[in-house]
Amino acid sequence: MNQANKILIRNTTEDGAKLSAFLQSQLSAIKVPDETYNDLRLAIEETFINIISYAYTNNEEDTIFFELTTNNNQIRITFTDAGIAFNPLTDCDKNIDEDDKCEGGMGIHLIKSLTDAQEYKRIEQRNVFTLTKNYT
Amino acid sequence: MSLKIAITSEANNGKRISIAGSLDSNTAPDLQKSIDSEINDSISTTIIDFKDLDFLSSAGLRVIFKAKKRMDNNDGKFLLVNLQPQIKKVFEIIKALDGMNVFKNQDEMDEYLTDMQNKVKDGE
Repeated sequence: MNQANKILIRNTTEDGAKLSAFLQSQLSAIKVPDETYNDLRLAIEETFINIISYAYTNNEEDTIFFELTTNNNQIRITFTDAGIAFNPLTDCDKNIDEDDKCEGGMGIHLIKSLTDAQEYKRIEQRNVFTLTKNYT
Repeated sequence: MSLKIAITSEANNGKRISIAGSLDSNTAPDLQKSIDSEINDSISTTIIDFKDLDFLSSAGLRVIFKAKKRMDNNDGKFLLVNLQPQIKKVFEIIKALDGMNVFKNQDEMDEYLTDMQNKVKDGE
């Protein structure tokens, strides 16, 4: 069964809770193992925090589009935002001197370790970042 | 996704910080504040009790590492106890278990602390 669901969230840390709740409701419907849920919850949090920290300058408000697709034991999650060109997997390092959020990419390491594939694209002034996780 | 923090005193100028819920970008500052106000140079042992913590992100890890550094600088002990599997996994991924005193449960930690006490006594 192929299902796609989406929500819009604001680029604020408070909306991280909305993301977690959405993930939980989506995954509980398909009986995903606890470890898979926990891994995804963390990968999503780390991705979300990186995006809102680095894709937006000057405290501008924006909405981020979050989509979750499940298909044959695979979960795909896509973040789409209209911030500056920012790849959560690599570009955080550019800011490493300005603050300590990046810190050698702890978040990046977690995202890569907790998911099976990651893909970044810049499409028409939007960042499109996809995480894929397989489960049994 | 909130964080509950409870601070209790332990023997020999120790403090136990019990955290419950979610330690993430939203709640990490609260833990930092608690640590800043409770853990001063006179604290010999800081225990972080993870029994009821079910989520930990890199923001939380940074607070924990800072606390460890502070204890190390004061020649104090820094102990982590009762980590749930998904929490332990986060430390394992970033290879942060080495150099950390992590105990599966209270009994294991008590044994360690008693051991340390005896070593001190023997040294007197």
